[in-house]
Amino acid sequence: MASLNRCLASLARLNLTAPARPTTTPSIPKFLLPTTAVPVVRYASGGGGMRKRPPKKKKAYKTFRSYDLSPMEQFSLCDAMRYIRAFEVGRPPAVVKYEVSIKLKTNKSGPVVRNRIRLPFPVKTDTRIGVICPEDSPLMIEAQQLGAVAVGENSLFESIRQGNIPFNKLICHADSQDALKKANLGKILGPKGLMPSQKTKTITTDLKATVQELIGADEYRERSGVVRLAVGQLGFTPKMLFDNVTALMKLLQVDINNVDDSYTKALDEVVLSSTNGPGFSLNGDFLPADETLKPEDLQSAM
Amino acid sequence: MVGVIRRMNHLTELVRIRNGPGAAILPQDVTRIHMDFAHKINGGHMGPRKVWRDSLPRLKYWNPTIPMVVNRSDNQDGPATLSIYFREPGATLASDVPMPSSSAEGFAKAPAPAAGERVLTIDMKERRSEAILKEFMDKSGAVPVKTTPQDEALLREVEDRKATGAIDRERIRQENEAVKREKQMIAQAHSEAAAIKAAL
Repeated sequence: MASLNRCLASLARLNLTAPARPTTTPSIPKFLLPTTAVPVVRYASGGGGMRKRPPKKKKAYKTFRSYDLSPMEQFSLCDAMRYIRAFEVGRPPAVVKYEVSIKLKTNKSGPVVRNRIRLPFPVKTDTRIGVICPEDSPLMIEAQQLGAVAVGENSLFESIRQGNIPFNKLICHADSQDALKKANLGKILGPKGLMPSQKTKTITTDLKATVQELIGADEYRERSGVVRLAVGQLGFTPKMLFDNVTALMKLLQVDINNVDDSYTKALDEVVLSSTNGPGFSLNGDFLPADETLKPEDLQSAM
Repeated sequence: MVGVIRRMNHLTELVRIRNGPGAAILPQDVTRIHMDFAHKINGGHMGPRKVWRDSLPRLKYWNPTIPMVVNRSDNQDGPATLSIYFREPGATLASDVPMPSSSAEGFAKAPAPAAGERVLTIDMKERRSEAILKEFMDKSGAVPVKTTPQDEALLREVEDRKATGAIDRERIRQENEAVKREKQMIAQAHSEAAAIKAAL
């Protein structure tokens, strides 16, 4: 039966005369006619289809992100010290350091805060200074008397090229400045942060003043909107640490005020941390919240 | 700098230093504590090390005035001792009793007791940290600190966060593995297709 039907259908298609079109227009308006659902076929090359959008641009922020600090638990200096001393119990007190991270409200571009500070209670005591000055001059003897571990000009350059660097600070007398430029040591000294320059005040005419400034002085600089510096050893008393932190904050405020007014720069948050401990956001107070605890209780041997 | 929320979560962990084994207040007559053991765990030094890492911070938090000095040395065969120094009843100690600072090189040997002081020594070698801590609590007369309701709530919060974190970590691990597997399969298919092409 099925085969017969198929046969008839093929015969019907063979009809040469097409059936006449209906000439009478239907009396109902066109929009009321039942629409026959004709599937719309789309082709990839057909122009239509999904419109390609350009990839979304990430919003570029001009400033470093600044957080709302209201949910942040903040501590007084003594409270933070109590926790840190508990975390660091049994560690060598001269090795473990207190550190502060000071977050600034600042633009990503523009000037950065950078300076050198002599803390009231020095943290590092292993400063070894190298001095570049004309050889066989009175300056050389002066530098040696000031306690420089390496002194000289061409002989010193040669030993630096051979990788013999016994110093961790290097200064240059203005008389040797041209020789230093010719020596081409930027590739070796630059990455170590030892290259003398006017900017860091390590090219000088007064060796004595510079050496004295370098001994016991710490450099700090803003990186990614944060200034980080070691401000104390674990063995410090609360008063010592307080003095160091206040000295740093005072100098930093001066630095910030010196920045041109067209750039935004302000203090945002101060966090005290230690070598192995967590970070404690400071609220600016000194005395502990717990009244039974006195600052003197936090200075026993560690 | 790290965001506020993540740092806050880290700080709620402080509840663990206020509570737990070792959170105890020492009696008035304990003057100082000294521990002596080796850097590594072999030779029976695991228990002492655990006491130092886990319990001593809690003890130090609740007794900030008492010097607690740890002497670690490289000598794995050496002794492992915990010394508790007591004030003799009625005696007054000099204000500046010399006390060495903690050392990681074995330089801070246990000092001899000062005038008016006596020492009680616990041998920690080849013992578990729980046993050492129990003996310490019994012999020193330390009173464990009771957990406050606020701290209990915080502890629960920390536990909850750990549990959800574990679930999330597992999910992410599976997702990462699926991506990795797919990449591997595509790479294998590519290499096989290249081999067939080369053979033709």
